[in-house]
Amino acid sequence: MSVAGSPIVLAQHVSKWYGPRRAVTDVSFAIEPGEIVGLLGPNGSGKSTIFRILCGYLAPSAGTVAVAGYDVMTDSLNVRRAISYVPEDAPLYDHMRVGEFLRFMARIKGLRGAASASAVEAAAARLDLGGVMTMPTGKLSRGFRQRVSIAQALLADPKLLVLDEPTSGLDPHQVIAVRDLIRSLAGRHTVLIASHVLPEIEKIATRVMILLDGTLLTTDALTGSREHPALRLRAAGPEAAIRATVSSVAGVRSIAAEPCGDAAKQPAEPASYLIEAERRSSLAAEIITALAGRGIAVSELSETAPDLERVFLDLTRQPRKAAA
Amino acid sequence: MRNFAVLLVKEETALFSSPIAYAVMTVFLLIMGYSFTLTLFLSHQPSLVHIFFQMFVLFMLTVPLITMRLLAEERKLRTLEVLLTAPVSEIEIVLAKFFASMSLLALMLLLSGSYAVVLVLFGDPDLGPIYSGYLGLMLFGAALVGAGLLASALTANQVVAALVSLSVFLLLWIIDNFGWLLPSPFDALVTNLSLSVHFRPFAVGSVYLSDVGFFLSAALLMLLLSVRALARR
Repeated sequence: MSVAGSPIVLAQHVSKWYGPRRAVTDVSFAIEPGEIVGLLGPNGSGKSTIFRILCGYLAPSAGTVAVAGYDVMTDSLNVRRAISYVPEDAPLYDHMRVGEFLRFMARIKGLRGAASASAVEAAAARLDLGGVMTMPTGKLSRGFRQRVSIAQALLADPKLLVLDEPTSGLDPHQVIAVRDLIRSLAGRHTVLIASHVLPEIEKIATRVMILLDGTLLTTDALTGSREHPALRLRAAGPEAAIRATVSSVAGVRSIAAEPCGDAAKQPAEPASYLIEAERRSSLAAEIITALAGRGIAVSELSETAPDLERVFLDLTRQPRKAAA
Repeated sequence: MRNFAVLLVKEETALFSSPIAYAVMTVFLLIMGYSFTLTLFLSHQPSLVHIFFQMFVLFMLTVPLITMRLLAEERKLRTLEVLLTAPVSEIEIVLAKFFASMSLLALMLLLSGSYAVVLVLFGDPDLGPIYSGYLGLMLFGAALVGAGLLASALTANQVVAALVSLSVFLLLWIIDNFGWLLPSPFDALVTNLSLSVHFRPFAVGSVYLSDVGFFLSAALLMLLLSVRALARR
């Protein structure tokens, strides 16, 4: 029932209470087909609850969620056919061998006979599970358990792949491999990935949503950074003059000196500044011209990558301040 | 119901790869074998009536051990999350677990059929009560497994699930005694809830539709409630 051009996930005003405790508050977002969306938030912020609602495992206390055009409450089986879920900590049937578990998961996802065998083979090859296919899942290391869990999610070629902390417990090589795997799914699958590890989300996702205490603070944390790029300036001269000159250029929103660890720095040595400005192609040239006009030498002016850490800290600090 | 067979195989594998199944079967057959031999040598009667009553009691003690892990373990290990986010219905999950447990009870009863074979080989037993006794035990077992499954669906703690089932079974075993204390029509109502009142006729060779209906409807009600408990998330 998925309509071309319509979002693969549409959550509207979703709330979830566990008894008297509200775990998710009025969360609304949409995810377009082919996106890799990160859901970032500290532990206990409600990420897993949102994922469980999307997968039909939990019912929302309020609001509606549609996946691939199907309502998670009234059309749960169709939602579960469109979605594959990798829960946090990779729960597996410990009495089953890896191959047996993957074949079981393939069958309950509707694959039979040769289709099941080839899907299991492909998923095992993709996650490099060839050496452990006959081992009981209960005897696997945490990294292998995580890979088996991801492999089962890839079996039925799902429209939406939901991964809850998929790299937790993996060593750095495995983290890179999983990251590459998720990136390779872009376009063919829609991926929703939760993590509390900020650099990881930044490396994988094309869009980042930030969740704090059950409230969605933003559905695209990087948009602001893209529209208002940060420029790093290194210039030698009096700080007040540099600030005044740069601020006078049209389109500059703010300028701040970056902390310098060297207390004995001379005024003649270049210092670093971070400039927030509107996106304009001629802006860098205008800043350099203005500074040169005041006799200030510029040794560097470059655009910095969108800084998710800064956005995350800004957003997560605000509600706490408000609450305090 | 396209996934029922897949889930049933998974449940059978889980059941027979666990030591609980073998421990329950061994204890059941050892006690019943001892009891059968003793009863036969003391009474010199080619009958299984006493054995059926002992199996009735032993079922109440062993079924909670079989059913306690069914859903409580899945909930605790969070494999229920894997299962319920895949395209399988709650009915399929509950029925697969029910029939896997029933297969263990059926195997236990099948192996205990050796007692009947001994009676047929060396005596001239009345086969009617033997058939009805086994039918009664299967129906009784179905009601117990249904109730045990429900208890397991309501908690993530296997010990709690087993204790709840055991308490309910023991209460419903002796509940007819309380009937004497109650005025009409409550006495009849309470007496008719008794498991032993409905099982007794099967053991002595009588099959009443009311008793068959009691155990079947109890099993169905418990399965329905288990499905509801699983769907309530």
